[in-house]
Amino acid sequence: MGRKILFITTDQMRYDAIGANGGTVARTPNIDSFAANGISYDRAQPQNVVCMPSRATMVTGQNVGTHGVWMNGVPLPVEAPSVAAVLRDAGYRTALIGKSHFEPLLDPFLRFEENRQGFAGTTVGHRGFDHMELATHGAAGFTHYSNWIRHNHPEAIGMFFQVLDGDLEVNDAPGGDTGAPQIKRNTVPRDWYHTDWVADRTISWLDGLANDDDWFCWMSFPDPHHPWDPPESELHRVDWRELDLPAGYPQNAAEREAIIDAKPRHWRLWYDGKLVSNYEAPAKWVPATLTADQIREVNALAHIENELIDEAIGRVLAAIDSKGWSDDLDIVFTTDHGEFQGDFGFLFKGPYHVDSLMRLPLIWRPAPSAGGGADATARVSQPVGLLDLAPTFCAIADVQPPEWMEGRPLPIDDADAQARGFERVTTEWDSRQPDGTEIHLRTIMRDNFVCTTYQPGTVHDGTEGELYDLVLDPLQQINLWDDPDRRALRDELLIDLAANFVEPRQFRHAEAPV
Amino acid sequence: MATIRSHARVHRSADDVWKVVGDPTRIVDWFPGVTAVTVEGNIRTLTLAAGLPVFEEIVTLDHRMRRFQYRITGPLPVKYHLGTMDVIEDGEPGCLLMYSTEISPDPMAFVLDGVISEGIGNLARMLNEHTEDER
Repeated sequence: MGRKILFITTDQMRYDAIGANGGTVARTPNIDSFAANGISYDRAQPQNVVCMPSRATMVTGQNVGTHGVWMNGVPLPVEAPSVAAVLRDAGYRTALIGKSHFEPLLDPFLRFEENRQGFAGTTVGHRGFDHMELATHGAAGFTHYSNWIRHNHPEAIGMFFQVLDGDLEVNDAPGGDTGAPQIKRNTVPRDWYHTDWVADRTISWLDGLANDDDWFCWMSFPDPHHPWDPPESELHRVDWRELDLPAGYPQNAAEREAIIDAKPRHWRLWYDGKLVSNYEAPAKWVPATLTADQIREVNALAHIENELIDEAIGRVLAAIDSKGWSDDLDIVFTTDHGEFQGDFGFLFKGPYHVDSLMRLPLIWRPAPSAGGGADATARVSQPVGLLDLAPTFCAIADVQPPEWMEGRPLPIDDADAQARGFERVTTEWDSRQPDGTEIHLRTIMRDNFVCTTYQPGTVHDGTEGELYDLVLDPLQQINLWDDPDRRALRDELLIDLAANFVEPRQFRHAEAPV
Repeated sequence: MATIRSHARVHRSADDVWKVVGDPTRIVDWFPGVTAVTVEGNIRTLTLAAGLPVFEEIVTLDHRMRRFQYRITGPLPVKYHLGTMDVIEDGEPGCLLMYSTEISPDPMAFVLDGVISEGIGNLARMLNEHTEDER
């Protein structure tokens, strides 16, 4: 009997969302306990800052250029390699419960297997998962969760925020007390909400396992990704009026706009509502209209959603403990990418490679039987990537990571990271919108600097870039790209980026906007 | 307004290919996710795998030009749509199958581009592998 693996992901969660990383609002004692008994990574980055590419990296252990999911809407090929298949072949029972998003969600023709299974209510899984029960951010679509809502609580369908508007664009409908976009008072009972559903279905799957089964369960919560519509019954947890504004939000508009204007021009174009280069950001919403109170309210709702996630995790941990499995359980907790939540005056995400979107919470609590526990904690400051997750799962299962995985098992401390050369992490963005807009970013983080170069597109001519000193400027408000004193450093980072970046071999068709 | 286009070379005569393309009921044989079709006058109604209906108006069925045009009229969230299929003689034996779409709102182009490309591929394979007499 080997080690069991609980892989917990959230969607669009910031590094500072949890107590273990300095968060002071949302109470996350279960997640914090992983850090108190395991390894926290202070510089974990995704290889892309939107869902589908990032999740494809998690399941394949590959760079975006290798797995080819370069933008939301591009499906991961069914024949793509999968860590779940590797573990299943090694004798593990495997499940994915919650949000997968390896294939497009907007699929009226039911072309994709995940949607077909969700619509039919079958759970036979694919991509190496024996079992799949899928969910996304509401009751619409063809997931198992939406199917469950339709059949058991059809009155709840209209309680959630309607994600798309009549133009099939992401909805900017205002709500809440402040009129912020993508907020809705959701009257759905808490135990019908997708966070609790994911935990319920996970516990149900675990209940079907034999005591001596080895298992790998990816429990994937759709929150705190927008829309921000947690159950209304939970809003008492955080009063938005009492929240401080984020440190990354300069309150003076002139100061804020000066910071944005020192960045490549698509920052200001989005701020003024003249260019939306990510489908998931509401096309009709103008960030310059965002108010301080709207930021407070969005943040309050995100904190509430994170508390609900933590409590759902607690229920699953209790179920595992009741089976006597805790001693052999490895837990890995992370998210797919971050969220602005007010930084620089923005919400949502897009082609903006700053810590708001790139610095992720990542914690590995090794099984106590394998040395995990309060006496074996560490904080790793060296950079790691989500492509290192799949090889880590292989290492936990005592399986040699296949050659097609491009990451490495996560280091257990900084000494291990330095010994094994965890020096850099790269992140990319490519997008092509129906109107022809193209944006391409290539980013390297190393030695406490983040350097982004822009390839030629319809907005950039290929000379633009960003360079930030994370020690002196942790909020990335001073762009050093054109600083003559940093030219040598910039050139060195770009050479290192070119040597270590995996360029896409082809840009496959996007089959849906998301 | 977004425009998209897919095409395929088919190693069959234009007349053979038009026997399928020019019959609006045959879409069920090659278009992904379509499980049933009815045609009444110039109204074509598709049923998708998820049970959703798609209502269409047949605009052009020109046997001489080998051109078929239709509009989606509901309930997909389409503000403007015109789909055009042309079968063009392109040497012997063979023809070019062209499927063009103009659509608004733009995000629908993503949805249709992929499914039409897959459909055109299905149709070309079907026609290349079987003669119509075998069906």
